[in-house]
Amino acid sequence: MVRPLLLLTCLLLGACTGTKRAAVEGAFPIPLMAKTPVNLGIYLDEELVAYEHKETIEKKGQWEVSIGPAQPALFENLATGVFESHTFVATNVIDAPWDGVLKPTIKEVQFSLPDQTRSNYYEVWIRYQFQLFDRKGGLLGEWQLPAYGKASNKNHGSATTGLQAAAMAACRDAMAFFSINFNREPAIRQWLAAGKPLAPAPSPGAASGDPQGTSTTVPQGAAPAPAVNTPASPATDADDAADASDEGNSA
Amino acid sequence: MNTVRQLAFLSALLGTLSGCVTATVQQVRQTETAMAEGDSIVVLGRRNRPSQAEAELDFIDCVSRNIAGGNDGLQVITEQEFMDAMFPWFEPRTAPLNTTDLPGLLQEPLLASRLREIGLKYLVWVEGSTKRTAQAGTLSCTLTAAGGGCFGFLSWENDSSYEASVWDAHTAKTAGRVSSDAAGTSYMPALVVPIPLIARVQNSACASMATQLKDFVQNSS
Repeated sequence: MVRPLLLLTCLLLGACTGTKRAAVEGAFPIPLMAKTPVNLGIYLDEELVAYEHKETIEKKGQWEVSIGPAQPALFENLATGVFESHTFVATNVIDAPWDGVLKPTIKEVQFSLPDQTRSNYYEVWIRYQFQLFDRKGGLLGEWQLPAYGKASNKNHGSATTGLQAAAMAACRDAMAFFSINFNREPAIRQWLAAGKPLAPAPSPGAASGDPQGTSTTVPQGAAPAPAVNTPASPATDADDAADASDEGNSA
Repeated sequence: MNTVRQLAFLSALLGTLSGCVTATVQQVRQTETAMAEGDSIVVLGRRNRPSQAEAELDFIDCVSRNIAGGNDGLQVITEQEFMDAMFPWFEPRTAPLNTTDLPGLLQEPLLASRLREIGLKYLVWVEGSTKRTAQAGTLSCTLTAAGGGCFGFLSWENDSSYEASVWDAHTAKTAGRVSSDAAGTSYMPALVVPIPLIARVQNSACASMATQLKDFVQNSS
């Protein structure tokens, strides 16, 4: 008699405090804008594609917001609208005639429920980090992109659908901000203006990386512009020669 | 048996009734307006800041449907279709705040071309919300093995206040503003069975605004 009661109690408690799951779902639009003359590989690593934010909120139980599985569709449409051409790759190295590799990472996710903020909104914040590599894997620059999305509880009957809508809005915000500002990032602007050269080789003993991870890495020293590569022109020895020349000049 | 019939009749009678709603619509015209063959209109909710006055999605949808409906229905693009077609230029962080931002936006050739393609003539930004402003009374329900029932009386007052700003996408100027306010009290008496007499405040504000907007964009007088 005690066991069924215990089981029933556990089930009832589980119903109150069980994990609530929200996942980004739906289609992403393709940005409507002039394409940047750049041909990039997009490197979505396993960590990004499987990204799931877990958080326990007092009196609200455990929450899981799954953002990673939507990233391939997001970056497919984003790249279609922003870049001249793109391909998905499994590493940060790519052959000519591609210009380089873009690697997005989700550094942080936060969310809040209406009860927590005493507002009508479910809110989601996503902090992306983007790294741009040259064809040989040299870091050309990195920058951070904070995205925000909200959804009113007046429009969503349950917390799960509200959070889902807010996460979707945050993803759209990231796409919007990225597409409008890609060309304005100092590292990208300089790289494009210089004719998309390879990154200069790091000098021995130079400090590597930014411990805070908040600043933009800009290639030091102006490398001479190589022949412009496009995927339309097949990789040639001349490209490789230009690469070698870049490396030689920047070393 | 008679009592049951009487109760059922009373329920049916009260069910056909609803709370009273008072609605007021005002408009301010700044430029002449007209809709030609092939012109379309879009109704968008302002979502660029975390505001308590963010219009509900169902209100925007209701206004759009009402503008498109009827014999004099206009060609309406839904909010989601428009935002997807214009992405990323009308997202919460990137949407123009004033008509002065429009000319700069229209310099984006692909955007201007897409706007022509969909025949957008008027862009309507809606702000506002429906709030419960007062409530009173108590109602309690009991369920026993012999049956159940409710007893008590509840009343609450809702207040809708919305304002629409109409932008002319061709001239990049504000054509005018339409505001719609509605207030009403809903009642729920319960004598065994609760009988809701709902004042459809938001619906009334929506219908008034849609009718006025439809008239506003078609007639300059």
